[in-house]
Amino acid sequence: MEALLRNRAFFVCRSCTQQLQRRYMRAGPRQDVYDVVCVGGGPAGLSLLTALRANPVTSHLRVALVEAQDLSKIKLWKLPPDRFSNRCSSLTPSSALYLDRIGAWRHMVRERIQEYQEMQVWDGVTGARIEFDWAGAQPTTGTTIAYMTENLNLTSGLLKRLEELGGVSTFDNTRVENISYGEQTEEVDLREWPVVHISGGKQLAARLLVGADGANSPVRSFAGIEARGWDYNRHGVVATLELDGEGWGGEHTKIAYQRFLPTGPVAMLPMPGKYSTLVWSTTPRNAALLKKLSPGNFVAMVNAAFRLPIPDLEFMHTQGSGQEDEYTWRMKHTPVDHRAVPQVVTAVQEGTVASFPLKFRHADTYIAERVALIGDAAHTVHPLAGQGLNQGQGDVQSLAKTIEYAVTHGQDTGVGMSLESYNSERYTANHVLMGVCDKLHKLYSVGSGPLVPLRSFGLSAFNALRPLKSFIMGQAAGNGIKVF
Amino acid sequence: MRSSLRPARRAAAVLLRPTRTLNNSFLQQSRPYSSSSSVNPTEICHFSALASSWWEPHGPSRPLHLMNPLRHDFIRLCYNSPTPPSTFLDVGCGGGIFAESAARLPTTTKTTAIDPSTTILSIARQHAKKDPSLFNKLNYINSSIETLQHPKVDVVSCFEVVEHVDYPSEFLDKLGEFVRPGGWLVMSTIARTWTSWFTTNLVAEDILGMVPKGTHDWNKYINEHELRAYFEKRPEKWGEIKVMGVVFVPGCGWKEVKGSEKIGNYFLGVQRIA
Repeated sequence: MEALLRNRAFFVCRSCTQQLQRRYMRAGPRQDVYDVVCVGGGPAGLSLLTALRANPVTSHLRVALVEAQDLSKIKLWKLPPDRFSNRCSSLTPSSALYLDRIGAWRHMVRERIQEYQEMQVWDGVTGARIEFDWAGAQPTTGTTIAYMTENLNLTSGLLKRLEELGGVSTFDNTRVENISYGEQTEEVDLREWPVVHISGGKQLAARLLVGADGANSPVRSFAGIEARGWDYNRHGVVATLELDGEGWGGEHTKIAYQRFLPTGPVAMLPMPGKYSTLVWSTTPRNAALLKKLSPGNFVAMVNAAFRLPIPDLEFMHTQGSGQEDEYTWRMKHTPVDHRAVPQVVTAVQEGTVASFPLKFRHADTYIAERVALIGDAAHTVHPLAGQGLNQGQGDVQSLAKTIEYAVTHGQDTGVGMSLESYNSERYTANHVLMGVCDKLHKLYSVGSGPLVPLRSFGLSAFNALRPLKSFIMGQAAGNGIKVF
Repeated sequence: MRSSLRPARRAAAVLLRPTRTLNNSFLQQSRPYSSSSSVNPTEICHFSALASSWWEPHGPSRPLHLMNPLRHDFIRLCYNSPTPPSTFLDVGCGGGIFAESAARLPTTTKTTAIDPSTTILSIARQHAKKDPSLFNKLNYINSSIETLQHPKVDVVSCFEVVEHVDYPSEFLDKLGEFVRPGGWLVMSTIARTWTSWFTTNLVAEDILGMVPKGTHDWNKYINEHELRAYFEKRPEKWGEIKVMGVVFVPGCGWKEVKGSEKIGNYFLGVQRIA
């Protein structure tokens, strides 16, 4: 019995327990203790918090979110049915399924999401073409290749789901001012715990600090993790386009188009009705020109990008204006199989033409002691395969599973030992996918020389190999055979 | 490591203790003289020397860290109830790998962990401070099982310990006193076979150096049927017995392998009925 009496806190009364519990929550003056502090309220960060809150195994964890933007505005995001945001992503069926499992899918505006069933990809220099359709292939999970979604529809849906779940200490409109390490007191030793200092003076001590804070991740810098890579010297030009009709396949068979130009791929992805979203990777000079053009000239350039031979297109990029007339004249002398290219673009929605620099970045590791990186903080990929957001969703699934395992096995979720499986599962998977996207970009950025006939032969031969194609399509849809 | 996986110190140790052979069940062994502890001083020295590296994720205790999740899987398998255990007593807790994890489980209200080595316990206490959630859930006591005063608990755990104890039968008697009726006594140890001598003593300690030399004394290993026989001879106290054999695959970690309890590392759980 003596041993018992000597050991403090063995039998403690209820009020003492509460007192001790409070001490746990508050490790020091103005310092709150959390199990997970997520910096960044984009798709990756919000998905992770939703996954943790929706799972009864992890729902008891104390979680906090720090985001610079005003999240209430994003949550209430609303556009008229004929207007679409220019920042869209292609969600693979497996990403969509996961969003459904964590209860976020039903909070998204379904009418604004457009699935597509076919893909047309061709080489702008040689005309060699791959048709990605399901004929002959046996998809296991429906014929949808991917779901086109406005990023804001996704983040707004996630925020609504989080509101429904509750229990997240949200600090939005809030900047991270500094990240330091905790201190040691007589009772606790938080010297290995990251402490996030936020605007307003609050300090959040984190068992696990999640960096979902984008390509220039401050969390990654804090953890001393290098992100290596290169800039493509390309910009991605985006815009919301209005087309002649609902597409050649009608309302129920939507087609995504991508043409590889020497400057980079130009892609048109279907949105609901007669709308489409444009992602055109091109040189910074071309991008600057495209952004300056009048709506009519811009539309002519987009139509030209899917139809005219490369020299014509190059010429039109040298014109300060007048592309509309130039396009009309040149089309009279250019035979085009209209059904092989997207329907004619008739208008561009006002204020939707924008551009951003394209980068390839891969963090050396996704984990450090009490730190995990997800989404763009861990990797930035060329958008040509539409995989960026899906990679982030893959990270979220893996990290949420790792945290769940740690909780059910009594592991400290923040320590490297518990996080190892997340890093090993995601690093290689992302690395392979990023390598493929990068090689594709390089292969098709060459306008002439020995690579051109080689790649043209490659594409045609590729088109003839149906089993290989269905495998590739399965990968694109995230339901194919897992490489890892 | 107090676990799984060499024979340097063994020669000396063997000379100091009554020797057991394969035909000689540990159950027949009794203390040559009366003393109050199951604790072997040589063993304490060995593990105290390892104390500082106990929590290094890539240190000598790594296989133990990797095994820890399986301990919880095994307890879940034994308990097999919608109401998970809420109180634990971990005997021979070392640096607290299992004790911390048991206390951290959301369903745990109280975990007591004991170890005879003060050096190791100070490491354990220091480490527990790194997680404020353990503050009022985990209590370390520097004690042997013989001198411990403690109420009965849902689970008494004793991982990778019985192979380090001189008189296992008396040790098991003591452990049993702390299990509440309906609760479980959960242990893990190594079977005394040529395979286990080869893997845990020769390969792990001598050749690969994965485990510090002198961690294992093969003569003290206990076979599954010997442990089982102990409980089966006391049907008034002990009920259902569950076992799970595990194998360490370098690079992969621990894997459950059916039937391997006869060969190497294994878990054994037994339910106290009265």
